[in-house]
Amino acid sequence: MLLAYFILSVLIALATFRAGGRRTVAMLGTAFFAVQFALAAALFRCGFRGGAEALFFTPDALGSLFFVLLAAVSALVFIHSRDYLADCAIADYRRYAALQMLLTAAITGAYFANNVAVTWIFLEATTLCAAGLVYFRHTEHSLEAAWKYVFVCSTGIAVAYLGILLLGTAATGGSLGYEALAREVTHGNPLYLKTAFVLILCGYSCKLEIFPLHTVGVDANFAAPAPASALISTGLVNAGFVAVYRIYRIMMQTEAAPWVRSVLLLTGVASLAVGAFFLRRTNNYKRFLSYSTVENMGIAAIGLGIGGPGVWAAVFHTACHTLVKSSLFLQTAVMHGIYDDYRINRIGDYMRINRIGAIGFLLGAVMLLAFPPSPLFVSELMILGGVLADERWWLAALLLVLLCIVIYSFVSRIVRLCYQPNQDAVHRPAASHRLAWTALVPLGVALVLGLWQPEALRALIERIVTI
Amino acid sequence: MILPLVILYVVTLVYLSITERFRTYASIIGLQGWILFGVALLRLHRIDLPELLFISVETLLFKALLVPALLFAVIRRTHIHRVRTSGSSQFNALLLSVGAAAAAITLTAAMADGNIDRVFFGVALYAVLSGLILIVVRSRIFSHMVGFLVIENGVFLFSMAVGTEMPFLINVAILLDIMISVLMLGIFFMRIGNKLHADDADSLTNVKD
Repeated sequence: MLLAYFILSVLIALATFRAGGRRTVAMLGTAFFAVQFALAAALFRCGFRGGAEALFFTPDALGSLFFVLLAAVSALVFIHSRDYLADCAIADYRRYAALQMLLTAAITGAYFANNVAVTWIFLEATTLCAAGLVYFRHTEHSLEAAWKYVFVCSTGIAVAYLGILLLGTAATGGSLGYEALAREVTHGNPLYLKTAFVLILCGYSCKLEIFPLHTVGVDANFAAPAPASALISTGLVNAGFVAVYRIYRIMMQTEAAPWVRSVLLLTGVASLAVGAFFLRRTNNYKRFLSYSTVENMGIAAIGLGIGGPGVWAAVFHTACHTLVKSSLFLQTAVMHGIYDDYRINRIGDYMRINRIGAIGFLLGAVMLLAFPPSPLFVSELMILGGVLADERWWLAALLLVLLCIVIYSFVSRIVRLCYQPNQDAVHRPAASHRLAWTALVPLGVALVLGLWQPEALRALIERIVTI
Repeated sequence: MILPLVILYVVTLVYLSITERFRTYASIIGLQGWILFGVALLRLHRIDLPELLFISVETLLFKALLVPALLFAVIRRTHIHRVRTSGSSQFNALLLSVGAAAAAITLTAAMADGNIDRVFFGVALYAVLSGLILIVVRSRIFSHMVGFLVIENGVFLFSMAVGTEMPFLINVAILLDIMISVLMLGIFFMRIGNKLHADDADSLTNVKD
């Protein structure tokens, strides 16, 4: 099933590189997403319980959950991109569409890989596809961002590779499959395991968009077309999360577990602090949303760091963040169509200019700041509860202070966008109203999840976190 | 026979830290490629012939021939020949390199057990640290790229340190890594030289807050 999926997806993407017109690209896109949803339906039919292994892939619960989200977000991104890039030459547009498809397939590979080296290979592949999207505009800024992205990601991934080799050495059997590693590293050399985890986390932080290599993700989101940023800031970030989470699960069965938790706590707090600080500092809405990703993935890392219910909360937080953040980035694409600008100090009066878009931003901000009925309220409350249960008072105080800074920054910026006097020229693309409505769809799903988490979803995440 | 090659490799790392001419950088990267080719042939001679061929050919083709050729092409195209004079001095660079060697030896003594070849482990660590130092202290993009290539070579040596058998996936990963290096050189060669001041990393600071 998975092999057929990869073959079809890559073939369609390659065909898109040669598409003769926009209509052909649209048809190939429809075919591509038919393949995605067919796989999602097949996974749903077997209850996300994991089917047969295919070579180096296993459709397990963790990969399935994030794949369903990826398929939905990627389809929305494709729809938005068609209008966002309406003025582009066909050669550029088909390259963009093909790269988006290849990126989606590469991310899927990272989700379902059952071998640590295969995950690494697919994450490296995502660097190539994402760099193509970042360099789409062919401007100096996009070239700089693409260069930094390729350079830092490659260096980071090389560092992660050292960690993988060390992890393989700590295991006795020599296999790099996750299941085999989990069995074999139980009594591995703790020093190797600790070093391996630090190297892997540090390397994958460029994908997960957490401290210390978070900056390349922010730059990439800034330079890429806004719909592509929605995919990079959610689907690709989730690939980093899945990669780190699989290693985390292995480490939890070893002597290195307390060390791993401490490292995640420190990284999470550092990411939250960096996010909070730069949310105040930046003057660009895309960078602003990117720093919010850094902050939210920091919270997820803290969840993993405290363990217990925090792990459930971290998975739920990451999944719901995908819905909210993709919606906000897509609204940003609509906003760009109207102002042709992302500068915070220039644009405003959005409530009057595009009411639906402004409501989307306000609702998205409420969701992202974890105010009820946001699903992130559930996860952040669980994480804070875990911190308090561990009697880590200093950490709880620090989290609350940083979250207050985030709330202040977010509210002031979004209120500014909606109500401050506008200083830029305004265009009114015909599709902006429809696209603003479309971008509300993932936000609506997030709202439902905030009010009611279906038993099936709870059970699914429970299965993911059960070691 | 392996030990002299490894010692020669260490010498190239020390020389890399003090040299200021980019043609020397490119030559050293080429020499490192040939040394790694020799090390791979000698160390991995017990593995399957197809695997040995795969690793040897990829090392020879990419690390020893293609990458240095691309580096020379970049130098010819961009007309950049030296690191910036305002950058770190040779003496400081040598001090840093010696510090990196000391750190690598200390870490090896602390970490390596029977599962790891101490010599390869130490040299690989030294190579990775040398690459990072090049990226941090030198201010030209070209030096950064060379730093990345040195790290890649260090990773290759590290994979030798942790076992004489290389699973197929490790080979694929190494090949992909090399491809990325070539891609980066391609971006530098084809794009950055045309659009940005290719001689200065300061020109890559426009995307920031």
